[in-house]
Amino acid sequence: MKENVIEIRHLTKNYGKSRGVIDVSLNVKQGDIFGFLGPNGAGKSTTIRSMLGFLKINEGSINILGMDSVRDHEKILREVGYMPSEAWFYDSMKVKDVIKYAADVRGLDCSNEAGMLCERLKVDTNKKIKQLSLGNRKKVSIVCAMQHKPKLFIFDEPTGGLDPLMQKKFFELINEYVDKGATCLLSTHVLSEVDKYCKNAAIMRDGRLTMLDTPHIDDETFLSFYEDDEEA
Amino acid sequence: MRSVLKRELLLNIKSLLIWSLSVGLMGFACILLYQSMEGEMKDMADAFSNMGAFSEAFGMSTLSIATLKGYFATEVGAVHGLGSAMFAAITAIGIISKEEDAHTGEFTFSLPLSRSKIIAAKGICVAIMLIVFTAICIAFYYIGFEILGEEMPMDQFMKFMGMQLLMNAEIAGICFGVSAISGKNRMGLGLGIALVCYAYDVMGRVVPDLKDYLFIGPYSYSNASEIFTGVATEGKAIVLAAVFLIGGVAFAFLRFNKRDLAS
Repeated sequence: MKENVIEIRHLTKNYGKSRGVIDVSLNVKQGDIFGFLGPNGAGKSTTIRSMLGFLKINEGSINILGMDSVRDHEKILREVGYMPSEAWFYDSMKVKDVIKYAADVRGLDCSNEAGMLCERLKVDTNKKIKQLSLGNRKKVSIVCAMQHKPKLFIFDEPTGGLDPLMQKKFFELINEYVDKGATCLLSTHVLSEVDKYCKNAAIMRDGRLTMLDTPHIDDETFLSFYEDDEEA
Repeated sequence: MRSVLKRELLLNIKSLLIWSLSVGLMGFACILLYQSMEGEMKDMADAFSNMGAFSEAFGMSTLSIATLKGYFATEVGAVHGLGSAMFAAITAIGIISKEEDAHTGEFTFSLPLSRSKIIAAKGICVAIMLIVFTAICIAFYYIGFEILGEEMPMDQFMKFMGMQLLMNAEIAGICFGVSAISGKNRMGLGLGIALVCYAYDVMGRVVPDLKDYLFIGPYSYSNASEIFTGVATEGKAIVLAAVFLIGGVAFAFLRFNKRDLAS
């Protein structure tokens, strides 16, 4: 039986009086491509940001790769490739410097893997960050998240801004890394991505998480989560 | 941590060069102007030294601006004191908060480094910037003295620059603490802190009732006219500077390790 790469137990996070997430529990097994669905403001990013230690959680516990998210924060980040929904870097840096910087901080020489990723995603490494569109910044973010071949990928709305060809290449890369033993948590609004690429899925609404029996749900069921949310 | 420090230094090098060259060159130009004004200054020195409280505030009652030492203390002392404090303030107040202000925090803090290590790298970067800034200015002023060929007490000059560096570090320490609680770059606030400290010192030297509390401000122990006339530095002013510096940095570490990061 495959081990849990992500174990979230009764996670609660609020922002003062505002609701973040309430009593979220979730397991993601090794080798999974896990789809994380939900409307804007449902708590997907809060859950992800809590996992990465950006947010201080109020209650519950998070275990990543068998390590405690608070105590072993630094060790966890060594094994994680994270791509935020907004791919921002230092404007004045060149793409190649950003990619090398991310590898240097990890103390790794990732030049071969980075070169392969840049070639497949058609990343112009000589451009400055400020010259890039959102889609091209996202491609740089993908390279930074993948070049060190992490055990766990966490992607927060990764395909927004990417053209269809790049979206296809992105999922090809995920499949290749997962085939080699990695695990992937994918937060998205795009049901077709979950249907096509994910093995398991959950949906968040109003800060609470519901596991789906299958990632292959129809549009009506999917939209009902959004409609109910709007009515609420 | 070394990579973050290197990156911070590279990101700040342009600002360091602009500020150090600007302040250093202004001071250098002021020093060179001394020779052309030397003759007229003898009359001016008498007038300036008899302007009551204002002569005291700017040190002209104790030092003659007709000498290079007095001229440097009153003219370059003010330029360097204000310029270096503003540089220290804007460097420190943006170095942590810029991550959230420019939305680069998610990239930086997803790298495998603890928040403490990132803050430490940023703190060391500010310290290096202040030291290099001071070294560049020392070089400019020293070349100025050499060109003039006039005698300058180097021990007092180096003490003055050392105290200026401590004053810069104190202001930077306070601003570093502010940077850790802010999600936006508060450059205006940083400049305000530097200018308020300067104004407090000038007022303290003009208003007799404030004299006993001058030591609270960072310009008290770095005052050029006192250093160049050999007035002993007040120990309590140095202790308070250390408290503000260490307190600001410690607060930055404690606060930043506990807070949620904005996306």
